[in-house]
Amino acid sequence: MRKLLASFVATVLLAAAVALSAGAGEKKYKIAVVPKDSTNAWFVHMEKGVRKYANDTGHNAFQKGPAKTDAAQQVQVIQDLISQDIDALCVVPVDPAALEPVLAEAMEKKIVVICHEGSPVENCDYDLEAFNNADYGAFIMDNLAKAMGEKGVYTTMVAHVTNASHNEWADGAVARAKAAYPNLTLLAAEPRVESEDNSERSYEKAKELFKKYPELKGIVGTSSKDAPGVARAIEELGLKDKVFVSGTGMPNESRRFVKDGTLSYITLWDSSLAGAAMCALAVDVLNGVKIVDGLDLGVEGYHKLMFAPGSDKVLLGSGWIVIDAKTIDDYDF
Amino acid sequence: MPGPGNLEEPMRFKRHLRRSEPYIFAALLLLCLAVELRSGQFFTGNNIVDLARSLTVPAIFCIGEMLVLISGGVDVSFPAIASLSMYVVSRYLDDYQGTVALNLFVGAVLGLVMGGLNGFLVARFRFPAMLVTLGTTSVFSGILFGALGAREYPVPPPMYDLGKAKLFSAHNPVSGLSSDMPVSILLLALLLAATWFLLNRTLTGRGIYAIGGDPVAAERAGFNLFRIQMFIYCFSGALAGLTGVIRGSMMLNCHPTNLNGMEMTCIAACVLGGASITGGKGTLFGVMLGITLMTVMANSLILIGVPTYWQRVFTGAIILVGTGVSAYQALRGRRKPGAVARRAGHA
Repeated sequence: MRKLLASFVATVLLAAAVALSAGAGEKKYKIAVVPKDSTNAWFVHMEKGVRKYANDTGHNAFQKGPAKTDAAQQVQVIQDLISQDIDALCVVPVDPAALEPVLAEAMEKKIVVICHEGSPVENCDYDLEAFNNADYGAFIMDNLAKAMGEKGVYTTMVAHVTNASHNEWADGAVARAKAAYPNLTLLAAEPRVESEDNSERSYEKAKELFKKYPELKGIVGTSSKDAPGVARAIEELGLKDKVFVSGTGMPNESRRFVKDGTLSYITLWDSSLAGAAMCALAVDVLNGVKIVDGLDLGVEGYHKLMFAPGSDKVLLGSGWIVIDAKTIDDYDF
Repeated sequence: MPGPGNLEEPMRFKRHLRRSEPYIFAALLLLCLAVELRSGQFFTGNNIVDLARSLTVPAIFCIGEMLVLISGGVDVSFPAIASLSMYVVSRYLDDYQGTVALNLFVGAVLGLVMGGLNGFLVARFRFPAMLVTLGTTSVFSGILFGALGAREYPVPPPMYDLGKAKLFSAHNPVSGLSSDMPVSILLLALLLAATWFLLNRTLTGRGIYAIGGDPVAAERAGFNLFRIQMFIYCFSGALAGLTGVIRGSMMLNCHPTNLNGMEMTCIAACVLGGASITGGKGTLFGVMLGITLMTVMANSLILIGVPTYWQRVFTGAIILVGTGVSAYQALRGRRKPGAVARRAGHA
């Protein structure tokens, strides 16, 4: 018994010593992550990744965001954070253009700025994307095409026509349809519809579209509110198995529709991994690690980052997944 | 109604022209015809049902807002009140399996308490209603997102069932589309009837118009300013709380940020419908026309074929023209001698 106790004490001491030496050798940083909307389930899930990263590494990484998707409120949150002596700022911009001045201010104060879903932002060190936006759009299109039997008229839905990534995905989906599916046609009169990131609006807009354009057979959703809202409209209008929707969606919000087939596929990346990867990239930049093609952040889906073609700022991972009726119960967020 | 003499008939007609209801009605009719001409889908059963459904929540909000406007105040806190009620009812009654009446009742009581705070600050300290309700908006959403850490949450079973329940389905044999009329529309009808009675058949209703027209004169006439203002804000708060629960059940999911920005839509609808921003004036009929116009507009731009990039310009232009006409009517009314007497007559 005494031996056991002794070895236990020794182990604890040894572990403490290792932890201390590690702590002494590596500087710990204060990293703030600013999402678009801190109440949205997507970003609530991101916060889990940020917390886990903080626990695993000992860095002071935390998430703080506006209470609704509002560019002005996001600027306010970032201004408050800048004055709190942070080492790095990771932002998922609501409106990239509106953030430029405040991000420039952060960079002047030597704060490392990492963006996510904000490839047009100029005042940042790097922009980390879970994937190439055009490729993700193509991936959504492949899934929608499969549901539609590779033929028919479709259109695209975004939160706002000013939203950077949603529109790049939608463009990628359209390009993919043109290249690979000759029998798919984009609805010429309404090629892009706004859902205002609100599932009641995506529901209302979908009903309007199906009334006006009876030939419409598919919708590409980009905001995580699009696909579930459109699915609710499909169910109510009695269009199940006649028209299809595929797009970004959160498993919990979409579960019912995916299970009964009104929502063909939801695609996404894991926001908690994206949150952790942003922090990891920020730490690499702070430590002076050389950022080159093939960089490994030690986060799943971000083991081999590549610069976007022609860019020395935008880094791409390869972290998309598709969820259907069979796999949806594997996800609980 | 006592019939006026024949000599007064032209006067009465002119008086009606000075109200904003006829103009807003004409605008609504024109918009509906434009949608019908461009899409052939407006006057179909399923489209009318879709519009009625979209109208339900903002219309109930408008009833409360109208009372506040008539009394000479303005309330921007009702989306925050509704969101907080919706979230608390969804989150903390999530195991409850009984009748949905309890969910609605709890939502209304929560709203009543929050509206009561607005009313107390306005009536007791005579603070400007706009500042008070802006402040309480911050407090209520602070509690919602800060203290309670609100996020999307599934609604309790009774609310889900209410959202799924339908009065009837309007099926369109041509397009094969069908839409469900939500049961919640009955609540709107009930509230409209009750509010109409309150405003037109009770002394409190008289008092609401009176304190909005001239608070000093109203007090001299024996109306209790404090009591009437408390009543208005409590009533409007209770309506907001109730509406939050209805919204949650109609969406089958509680989205706490979903109602943000609706205060602007509703205030614009009330002003469009002839409710005066300076108080003393406004009718249920006019305000319902106003919110119907706003709802038809928000849900028909695709049917008309306005491209996405132009939709906000289009919406803004209609609001400008509509409120401009109302403001112009009010200005003309004020310039004429005897206008005050006439305004009182409209109440």
